[in-house]
Amino acid sequence: MTVPILAVREVVRTFGGLRAVDGASLDVERGSITALIGPNGAGKSTLFNVVSGFLPAERGSVQFEERRIDRAASYRIAQRGLVRTFQVPRALTRLSVLDNVLLAAPNHSGERLSGLLLRPARARARERSARGRAEELLALVRLEEHTHDYAGVLSGGQRKLLDFARVLMAEPRLVLLDEPMAGVNPTLGRQLLEHVLQLRAAEGMTFLFVEHDLDVVMEASDRVIVMNEGRVIASGTPAEVRTDSRVVDAYLGAAWST
Amino acid sequence: MSTIASFGFWSFVGIVSGIYTLFALGVQVQFGFAGLLNFGQVAFMGIGAYTMAILVVKEDLNMWVAACCGVALAMFAGVLLGLPTLRLRADYFAITTIAFSEILRYIATNEDRLTGGSQGTINLAGIGRTAQYDGEWQSFLGKMERGLHIGGDAAMLIVVWAVALLAVTAVWLLMKTPWGRVLKSIREDEDAVASLGKNVFAYKLQALVVGAALGAIAGLFYAWQFSFFSPDDFAPLLTFFAWMIVILGGLGRAWTVPVGAIVFGVIFAGTRFFDFPPFSLLDSTERAYVRLIVIGVVIIGLMLFRPQGIFGNRKEMVLE
Ligand SMILES: Nc1ncnc2c1ncn2[C@@H]1O[C@H](COP(=O)(O)OP(=O)(O)OP(=O)(O)O)[C@@H](O)[C@H]1O
Ligand SMILES: [Mg+2]
Repeated sequence: MTVPILAVREVVRTFGGLRAVDGASLDVERGSITALIGPNGAGKSTLFNVVSGFLPAERGSVQFEERRIDRAASYRIAQRGLVRTFQVPRALTRLSVLDNVLLAAPNHSGERLSGLLLRPARARARERSARGRAEELLALVRLEEHTHDYAGVLSGGQRKLLDFARVLMAEPRLVLLDEPMAGVNPTLGRQLLEHVLQLRAAEGMTFLFVEHDLDVVMEASDRVIVMNEGRVIASGTPAEVRTDSRVVDAYLGAAWST
Repeated sequence: MSTIASFGFWSFVGIVSGIYTLFALGVQVQFGFAGLLNFGQVAFMGIGAYTMAILVVKEDLNMWVAACCGVALAMFAGVLLGLPTLRLRADYFAITTIAFSEILRYIATNEDRLTGGSQGTINLAGIGRTAQYDGEWQSFLGKMERGLHIGGDAAMLIVVWAVALLAVTAVWLLMKTPWGRVLKSIREDEDAVASLGKNVFAYKLQALVVGAALGAIAGLFYAWQFSFFSPDDFAPLLTFFAWMIVILGGLGRAWTVPVGAIVFGVIFAGTRFFDFPPFSLLDSTERAYVRLIVIGVVIIGLMLFRPQGIFGNRKEMVLE
């Protein structure tokens, strides 16, 4: 077996007495599309927060591309190529939709005062190329009409799409998506899935996503990881997971396994 | 009556408005763009003014060099203030900044040998010797007056506003760059910005330091305009004037700052002439408070009917 791009080991994170993540371990294979499922409150979002450096883990370790990241600052983890979205989308409301996406451009010399003042032509060229890419991504998520609107006028579903465009703008190698389809119309959702598959094929991008719609999970993912009460209780191919009795008991319910 | 119509009086209002423009522009960069609640802006003004005056009087340094040192030291103080505090939550940061400015004011009041103490810069050279730091400034203004055939007030007015408008333009241009975009994004949601690989802390520090430099430049002009100052000139009230100006003009835009500063300057100076009833019943110190009350009422009215400020963007106010 190849070395996983992400390896989570025995991570614990509590809130007061509540063990939100309680010794979770999982691997994500490079180039895979992995679904993370589990009932409400299972600890999926909390695990995302730990992995992406937004919450410190109390115990355990997280490795990304064979390097420990569990003590790294969130922005450093993102710079290394692990970028996440939030369950509640984080639109920067008083910036334009375009600026929201442009913000994610990596290695932008125009974002440094030194780069602006010493090499303005280079900063401008970078901004132009970033803008081209941002417009492509906005077209992909069908927000091109809103390019110059404030992001604050977008609906909840549109904000999810904006987050999706933004996370791709960051050119990550591993993308963590927290319920990317919530509130997005199903047809567009399908198209985004297509695009995810394309990105994986073309750029070898890896995706780990939380999703409650099990039809989407079974169709889109090649691995499924199941969490319950802060632990990973099963993982495998969609077919393996759907017949696993622990999963059926804990989460899916008898009705679904038929 | 004669005062209200005199050029001397209104050019004074203009000069002070120009100084306030520079001073409040710092708050606009810090709060209006980066979302930092700096309630200690006056400290940077004081550092700029005192550093310049002390170096000229005690070290006999060229005034222009001393002025540059003043700005540099204020920026350095911004780094020192920011390093331990910018990781704190916004409200704790705000409290620390007030404490910072008050601590510096107490030091300036009590370190007689360094600052001249509570009597101010007049005492800088020690007892019995009058200290003066603005000789070079006066001769510079003198040259300008002779060259342009204008009066001293007009020369000062031109210099202050030239620098102020240059600074406003620079900030305006800066905010349109990708650097400015990161700053504005931090104001909106710093976690989102961090999640995209930007070092939020470093940007906040830069915003604080840019604002500190602007505060220090305002302090230099303040020192030159009044030829004398003391620690009490840098009380927290001045910081709140800067906030009033930024709110009056409108948040998050560079060009609203000079507008806010002029409106503030005119209200503040204009209320001196409230000599009709009921104001005529008050004595002059009481009337000084009335000016603040008037400004407070204007701001409350503005918040009720035009929360975006005079030139702010209404649309931005209603977005969530
Ligand atoms: N910041 C917090 N403070 C206190 N408790 C929290 C916090 N974040 C999460 N929790 C709790 O931790 C548990 C796990 O929450 P988490 O959001 O990780 O679940 P989830 O699997 O993402 O659920 P959902 O599918 O509903 O999004 C829940 O009981 C939640 O209430
Ligand atoms: Mg969740």
